[in-house]
Amino acid sequence: MIELKIPKLGLTMESAKLLSWQFASGDEVKKEETIFVIETDKVTFEVSSPADGIIHPIAKTGETYDVDQTVGYLAENREVYENLLKTYPAEMETHERIDETKEEVVTKREETSPGPAESEKRITASPLARSMASSHGLNLAEIKGTGPGGRIIREDILETLKELEMVGKEKEFLPKAVDKDFLGKEPLETIPITGIRRVIHDNMYMSLSQTAQLTLHTEAKGEAFVDFRDRLNKRLVKEEIKFSYNVILVKIVATALRMHPKINASIEGDEIKIWQQIHIGVAMESEDALVVPVIRNPDLKSLNEINRDLNELIIKTRENKLLPDDLANGTFTISNLGFADVDYFTPILRPPESAILGVGRIIRKPGIKNGHVIPEAMIGLSLTFDHRIIDGAPGARFLKTVKEMIEAPVLMIV
Amino acid sequence: MTERILSCSEALAEALAEEMERDETIFILGEDITAHDGIFGQFKGLHKRFPGKVIDSPISETCIIGAGVGAALTGMRPLVDMHFADFFTTAMDEIVNQTAKIHYMFGGQAKIPLVIWAPDGGGLSAAAHHSQSLESWFIHTPGLKVVVPSEPADVKGLIKTAIRDDDPVIFFQHKKLFAQTGPVPEKEYLIPLGKGDIKRQGTDITLVTYSRMTYLSLEAADQLAKEGIEVEVIDLRTLKPLDFDLIAESVKKTFHVLIVHEACLTGGFGAEIAARIGEELFDYLDAPVVRVGAKDTPIPFSPVLENFVLPQTDDIVEGVKGVLNR
Repeated sequence: MIELKIPKLGLTMESAKLLSWQFASGDEVKKEETIFVIETDKVTFEVSSPADGIIHPIAKTGETYDVDQTVGYLAENREVYENLLKTYPAEMETHERIDETKEEVVTKREETSPGPAESEKRITASPLARSMASSHGLNLAEIKGTGPGGRIIREDILETLKELEMVGKEKEFLPKAVDKDFLGKEPLETIPITGIRRVIHDNMYMSLSQTAQLTLHTEAKGEAFVDFRDRLNKRLVKEEIKFSYNVILVKIVATALRMHPKINASIEGDEIKIWQQIHIGVAMESEDALVVPVIRNPDLKSLNEINRDLNELIIKTRENKLLPDDLANGTFTISNLGFADVDYFTPILRPPESAILGVGRIIRKPGIKNGHVIPEAMIGLSLTFDHRIIDGAPGARFLKTVKEMIEAPVLMIV
Repeated sequence: MTERILSCSEALAEALAEEMERDETIFILGEDITAHDGIFGQFKGLHKRFPGKVIDSPISETCIIGAGVGAALTGMRPLVDMHFADFFTTAMDEIVNQTAKIHYMFGGQAKIPLVIWAPDGGGLSAAAHHSQSLESWFIHTPGLKVVVPSEPADVKGLIKTAIRDDDPVIFFQHKKLFAQTGPVPEKEYLIPLGKGDIKRQGTDITLVTYSRMTYLSLEAADQLAKEGIEVEVIDLRTLKPLDFDLIAESVKKTFHVLIVHEACLTGGFGAEIAARIGEELFDYLDAPVVRVGAKDTPIPFSPVLENFVLPQTDDIVEGVKGVLNR
């Protein structure tokens, strides 16, 4: 028997909310199959099974559990499982649902033959229905059986699959289905605010409602910045390394923060904490939400090291494998929307950080040089900071430093 | 290929004539078979056509099987007639301990090309001593092959193969099927042992059966088709060796199985098929495998009671609906 515990995903993690169980008690699970999903304040994480076995969840979903707290058990065989059932009766919500369906089954059976009641927890499903459900990732506990005694049969699985398909179809907008003169509004899709979306929802609202945000805009000449990157990348062709603008921006911002330490600060209670370490988050788009993985101490790292760190985080984001430690303890954030042709915007702080730099696209604009109009590559910069602890002038000075370093990257060596 | 309509008796007689013509080591031994051409007319014309090759025996099954085994050992290819399968009981030692084992006991040096031919089954109000279906006894005896055909064409094709087989074959024919007619090809053909036949294609349920129950199952399938249930009827034809591949192919399509045999349910061959389906096709089953068989009682003489004990078409219809939860 193996105890299934809330894993410690990062140094700072102390507890997690149990979002869902992927299996019901008595289901057979394979090693490395996802068995339950937890949510910390930063990520949702799929916990996989440590071994093949029969699962017995005991913890309710929707509740928060401490790291290392046992939420369920994995039995190596039926015998061990049956013992587990006796020792640890399940409390979880889905079980109650199973119990209800089970009761139906039992009563129906009693009508026909007063046989001995089976184990209370078992869902009756035909072998075919079971294998179909498992190959389609369906939870048998959520399917109503129409076979003898409420057994889930092939028909029920097909029906469920058909319904799921219908749900998918409802999401498509069909112009013909909408009356042109209809005055009301109907949802095309209803999405519950849960998981990572709930986290973003709460954090963004908290940010704008509890801090005093001010955004400054400026524009940096981009010629030298573009040239700097091109020259670096040309030299690195052989190593097949290519720096993105973000790599250089992280280094520039880190260097600038060293020169303006008060920007690298947080409010904690009645105190302002000026941080010793510089940890810069880079906003990224994951599958369904904004995430901000953090590069540690870029002021102390070479561009090569920053590039390596950033690439790792990009891959983790893409594969949905970010851990809480990848997201924790940022002191400043860079958000680059240049890819979407944005010039300026008003980025929102991520408390407890006190500043965030928005970066726009690099675009040629008419500039004046020696009285002549010439084309010049420009980059829009938008700095939002918490005016409670950073005044306008120091904020502006920090932005100016960043601007100057973009215009002359050589200044980074200071 | 042109065909004629023959009865099972005629198909058997024709097959035996063809084989005896082809191979002079073949002969038939049984009780009262020259005077009456066999109790069901199954040897009609043979004793005149092949004088000395159709031999009347004393009324002793021990003697009949014993003589058959001895003749087979010395190079003949006998077909022995049990008259009624029920009389197997008096020759069990010859069948189980000698016929089935000699090839193995002598390290493969001896072969027993013996066909033990036996009419079985009930439905004729012939009472408990003349109505049994005993195939399971011989399936459970390693060293024997067991054939249980239903239609005339299968009888002919299978008896010819059984005669040519170097192993002992128990060849059952159901008493109620001797008058059963069906198309039989003109030209010579053989049907291999261990090959079942789909007598009716269907998509909703696999009905595995053999011998007379094939006809009742087809009747049931006709009735069920009117209610929109498409039954696939498999006539196994040979029980040992078993054509499990055919069953598997069908079950993978229908996900439901009903097994029907006339032999009594407990310890019947249906249990063996059900067990193998459970072992090998578990993930294809959408409902428990169900068997329809005779009730566990000696077959009664009273026609009313006999019909009650033996599976009827209605039982099969009900069985199918039970499996399909309709």
